[in-house]
Amino acid sequence: MQALAAFRDARISRALRLAVAVAALAVAGCAGTPRFDGTSLPAVELDDVPFFPQTDYQCGPAALATILAHEGLPVDADALVPAVYIEGLRGSLQAELLAATRRHGLVPYRLRPDPDALLAEVSSGKPVLVLQNLGLDRFPVWHYAVVVGFDPSRGDVLLRSGTERRRRERVSRFLRSWARAGYWAFVAAAPDEPPVTADADGWIRAVTDAAHVLAPSSADAALRAATSRWPTAPIVMYASAVRLGEAGRWQDAARAYAALLESDPGNAAARNNLANMLAEGGCFDEALRQARAALASVRADSPLRPAIEDTVATLLRRSDGAAVEPDSCASFP
Amino acid sequence: MRRRRFGPSVLMVSALLVAPLQTTSYAAVIGTEQYLGALEREQALERIDAVLAREAVRERLTQLGVDPADALARAAALSDAELLALAENLEELPAGGDLLGVIGIVFVVLLILELVGVTNVFNKI
Repeated sequence: MQALAAFRDARISRALRLAVAVAALAVAGCAGTPRFDGTSLPAVELDDVPFFPQTDYQCGPAALATILAHEGLPVDADALVPAVYIEGLRGSLQAELLAATRRHGLVPYRLRPDPDALLAEVSSGKPVLVLQNLGLDRFPVWHYAVVVGFDPSRGDVLLRSGTERRRRERVSRFLRSWARAGYWAFVAAAPDEPPVTADADGWIRAVTDAAHVLAPSSADAALRAATSRWPTAPIVMYASAVRLGEAGRWQDAARAYAALLESDPGNAAARNNLANMLAEGGCFDEALRQARAALASVRADSPLRPAIEDTVATLLRRSDGAAVEPDSCASFP
Repeated sequence: MRRRRFGPSVLMVSALLVAPLQTTSYAAVIGTEQYLGALEREQALERIDAVLAREAVRERLTQLGVDPADALARAAALSDAELLALAENLEELPAGGDLLGVIGIVFVVLLILELVGVTNVFNKI
């Protein structure tokens, strides 16, 4: 019962809880995703998660090796030292753990700052790398560990941590140390398998951040997975359309932007890109019309404005003396 | 746009050499990263800022003892937003290491707090 009190005590705002409840409803179709419902911890332990005891200050490489090896990668803590350890700081930075995950072909997904997300990920079989502040706000002692399970009978969180293969921490203490680190946590996801707690915006953000490091086939797989899970999410449609354009598939990209604009006609960025795709297909009249419409729909201080102005200017230059529009232009909206 | 604490133009030139800019035949498409940046920050992340930040982070990592070749690869795997955060205050960010760095008065304070159950540093030992 102490576990319950601890979860209630965890400083989660009411709004966040509401958001979580709404999210829970939204993913109600994902059966078997246990959630903390206010009554109990799930009994789960991921026994097969490997363990790499840390040496010196190197909990970063050790914790990272733990989650990467769990995904089947042939890594150990020593091999990751050159990728994430900073001698001058005697530690590892959060962003570098994410970056190293990308370099190993996986997508690091930051969890919502919320115990429910932690429970759901571990219950789905994902070890979660967490940052803890074992000290105080004024005197922080930063530490990375990996949550691998929960023991409801004793109200404990189970971790791979430091030199302990199976460390127990009281839920209340764990949550305090995690809260002092801003509830920072992430999982390493295969590009074609968004984590159970992922949402469309978070996944596209994570994939976009990784895109310049991942193999193009992995980035494509990540977008396909997003499309299959969140087919109507605007950000997924946007990112997929951008990718089609990058692959030189102008017509498909133009159709994808047009589809997005049907449900979100005020999306100036999508309209700007549609104009560029139309221009690639030689449809300068329609492209210019779309570009001007995009420009008219953004505020003067919009960060999108320079790109749209650029589109309009380029089109004005190119359409001067342009030949007759190809027949294919008629098929565009 | 906030001014950053880095940015001699020499750095910029070398950074341009090591960080290939995205190349597409159409210049004015708003990529997903730029789009997300606009949604999140209400301010366009200028590509040049990220390039400068990448160079600044690479240099700082090297100063902090990271092998230069590793530093280059490490900086290359950071997102634009992460680069800017690290370029601005790398030293102030949490660097998960462990309790071995705790010394002196901090040690005593933590020991007392540990005994009264506020923190949980020492049951690690």
